[in-house]
Amino acid sequence: MIFSSPFFLFLYFPIVLILYYISPLRWRNLVLLIVNLIFYGWGEPVYVVIMFASIAIDYSHGRIVTRCKAKGNDRGARMAVASSVVFNLLLLGFFKYYNFIAGSLAAVGAGFLPVIDSLPLPGGESIPFTLPIGISFYTFQTMSYTIDVYRGDARCQKNIVTFGTFVTLFPQLIAGPIIKYKDLDDQLEHRDHSFEKFASGVQRFTIGACKKVLLANALGPLWDVYLATPSAQLTTLGAWLGILAFSLQLYFDFSGYSDMAIGLGRMLGFEFLENFNYPYISKSASEFWRRWHISLGSWFREYLYFPLGGSRVGKGRMVFNLLVVWAATGIWHGASWNFLIWGLYWFVWITLEKLWLGKVLDRAPAWVCHVYGVFIAIVGWAIFAVEDFSAMGPYLAAMFGFGAGALDTNFLYYLRNYLPILAIAIVAATPLAKTLWHKLPERARQVAFPVLMLAGLVFTTAYLVDGTYNPFLYFRF
Amino acid sequence: MNKKYSIFITVLFCLFTFGFGAALILTPSRDFSEQENRFLTQFKAPTADTLRSGKFMENFEKYVSDQFPLRDQWIQLKARSERLLGKQENNKVYFGTDGQTLFAQFKAPIQEELEKRVGFVNALGDCLDVPVYFSLVPDKSAALAELLPANAPNVDDGTTIQRAAELCGDSVTYIDLRGALVSNSDFYRTDHHWTTMGAQKAGQALLEGMGLVQQAGDLKVLGYQSLPYTQVSDSFYGTTYSSSGAGWVEPDSIYTVIPEGGTKGNVTVTGYPEGAPIESSLYHPEKLEVKDKYAYFLGGNQPLCVIQNPDAQGGRLLVVRDSYSDSLAPFLAEEFQEVHLFDLRYNNMSLTQYVTDNGIDQVLVLYSVANFSTDINLFKLAH
Repeated sequence: MIFSSPFFLFLYFPIVLILYYISPLRWRNLVLLIVNLIFYGWGEPVYVVIMFASIAIDYSHGRIVTRCKAKGNDRGARMAVASSVVFNLLLLGFFKYYNFIAGSLAAVGAGFLPVIDSLPLPGGESIPFTLPIGISFYTFQTMSYTIDVYRGDARCQKNIVTFGTFVTLFPQLIAGPIIKYKDLDDQLEHRDHSFEKFASGVQRFTIGACKKVLLANALGPLWDVYLATPSAQLTTLGAWLGILAFSLQLYFDFSGYSDMAIGLGRMLGFEFLENFNYPYISKSASEFWRRWHISLGSWFREYLYFPLGGSRVGKGRMVFNLLVVWAATGIWHGASWNFLIWGLYWFVWITLEKLWLGKVLDRAPAWVCHVYGVFIAIVGWAIFAVEDFSAMGPYLAAMFGFGAGALDTNFLYYLRNYLPILAIAIVAATPLAKTLWHKLPERARQVAFPVLMLAGLVFTTAYLVDGTYNPFLYFRF
Repeated sequence: MNKKYSIFITVLFCLFTFGFGAALILTPSRDFSEQENRFLTQFKAPTADTLRSGKFMENFEKYVSDQFPLRDQWIQLKARSERLLGKQENNKVYFGTDGQTLFAQFKAPIQEELEKRVGFVNALGDCLDVPVYFSLVPDKSAALAELLPANAPNVDDGTTIQRAAELCGDSVTYIDLRGALVSNSDFYRTDHHWTTMGAQKAGQALLEGMGLVQQAGDLKVLGYQSLPYTQVSDSFYGTTYSSSGAGWVEPDSIYTVIPEGGTKGNVTVTGYPEGAPIESSLYHPEKLEVKDKYAYFLGGNQPLCVIQNPDAQGGRLLVVRDSYSDSLAPFLAEEFQEVHLFDLRYNNMSLTQYVTDNGIDQVLVLYSVANFSTDINLFKLAH
């Protein structure tokens, strides 16, 4: 189930709200757990089993770690943490990377692993072997739980319903933000439900829905055109127009989804951490990654980069640490070589900045840094978005002038048709609107807000009901 | 935000979402969408099987979207908003620069695909002893190119027909209709079909191509050319309109020029809508009451339709048809003793056998260029 569908917005969520708020406080986590499981099972019912397994295994590992620590058995506690990490990585590895590994081995002549197309079910049936949605997100969340319990950063959750609610919490289940248990611990036991919080959730949700449905979905077809253009026909301006559309589409798709998650969370009394902070105004690669998918960056920092020693080591070791983190970040985004390359691309820029380029940028005028920041991000998206290896090179070549000329007549048509939405999207990717909004007097904002909100909901509904184009880019991550 | 204001916002949001949700459940479901010209998804109660396979969920989401309160209005709002944002297309339909003509996008087939398809026609020509003519109806985007948005991709530039004509073998005569169909009134603005005027011009060109009337310069005056046009409908919204959501476009009118029964009143029609012969007619006024008014001509798609006119000069013509032939048929019926409209999509009889069995004198393979590029039944031509 995805948020940007008439079914979710007009039936599922209203029913969830009613069930949630008529239940007494102590039942609310159970209500949430049930609706979470329905939400998850909606697309592929059989995969709910993975949810149950995840809850049971991570819950029991948390308990074991706590018991071992209470008895002073550090070795036992470490074993339990390792076992939990192995379980989660195996889960992720099998569903997300197995076929990629099997296929890659076969490609180099070592095809001893069979490629799996379908999973047999008891009773003789089988289901197609697809990626369970959100698996990249919730395996990371549950992994962090056991680690934090061991580190003493999080308390052990003794109530399996409460723990299950954390693992399956539907607003952020399938596309993040990646929430660490320790950040949600108190809210799981006790959260405030107020009209102020609900109204701010409504505001946030509406903004997210507009970003996803009105901007991301509107720009998607433009990228699809250029992705589908045969390499031999790609022109330089066309390639840039296409990747610009993708850069904006991805940002509004993903950050819109995060906004909706944060908004829905607030309506249910939760407060999630921010996930995006205007990444395209960054002045460097390092800054970009402090503003883009913040919860993923902070996860890798806390559970991979710092344990490896982080930056407080020799230069050579630091570069190695960065290499590991960025290779992992790349491949986390998808089981395909281009994602690994994309991760290494960022490794190169960030390492350069840490070693030398950062000092140069510090002295450069601000506009140079902005151009640099947005330029490397966009070029990176070309590696990210063109998964077909034989097409990626030509696409990049076309961007840098080695294509079929500068522009074609199609480009003129698409520019003419998409210029208004591109302009709106570019402005919306900066904090300008927010700044202007806060300059308005309080009274004007109070009048304008409900009008804008209703307009946003009405247009979102119109585009959803028409619904010919509503992909969801982070579905497969 | 203070508490009172927050309550106001909360109520507003809940009214909007709960309100439409409740309206969806409480209002009765529609079977058919006139605007979109398709059957809408209905609620299906879940069973253990459909729940486990996920089919129930899939159907239910479609049901919510299809039966959403005010669905037609939402779709039109989206189309208007796209237009306001400067878009020249919506749902793969171009808005013509006159604001009233709609063009379905056309994707030209690649050369190998076209070769294969024309190959089927050539094969038919090779295995028949009677003359085989082949003609493609140019796409509206080629005929009315001046109304297209500037530089619009995915339109017909006429080269598909050019290539198809060049691929024709010796056993097939290609008849070019590109010169005949160039006027605004030759195609419906809201539909992909040609109008009665377009069909009449095409009919003239086809008869010339088949040698039945002399070439320009010494043009034979066809009997119906002095007849007036009769408007039979002023409220036709075609299929291009249906997918466009372009609520601002005015409806088309449908005209006839040949009266029912032909100009001499002795034309009879035998339709085979369900496979068995029934008495039919050139026009079906009852179809003017429904959405798909183009079915007024011959009653809509059917596997076979035979039109007889014993007094005509021409012999027996078989047309391998798509729906364009239905409004052309009254003109052909004026000139041929028998016109057999044979539809490969619904008819699995052997075409060559049928030609022999029915003493057909000449065969015309007539498709719109879009249908010819995509239809999956062409291989049956020479089977």
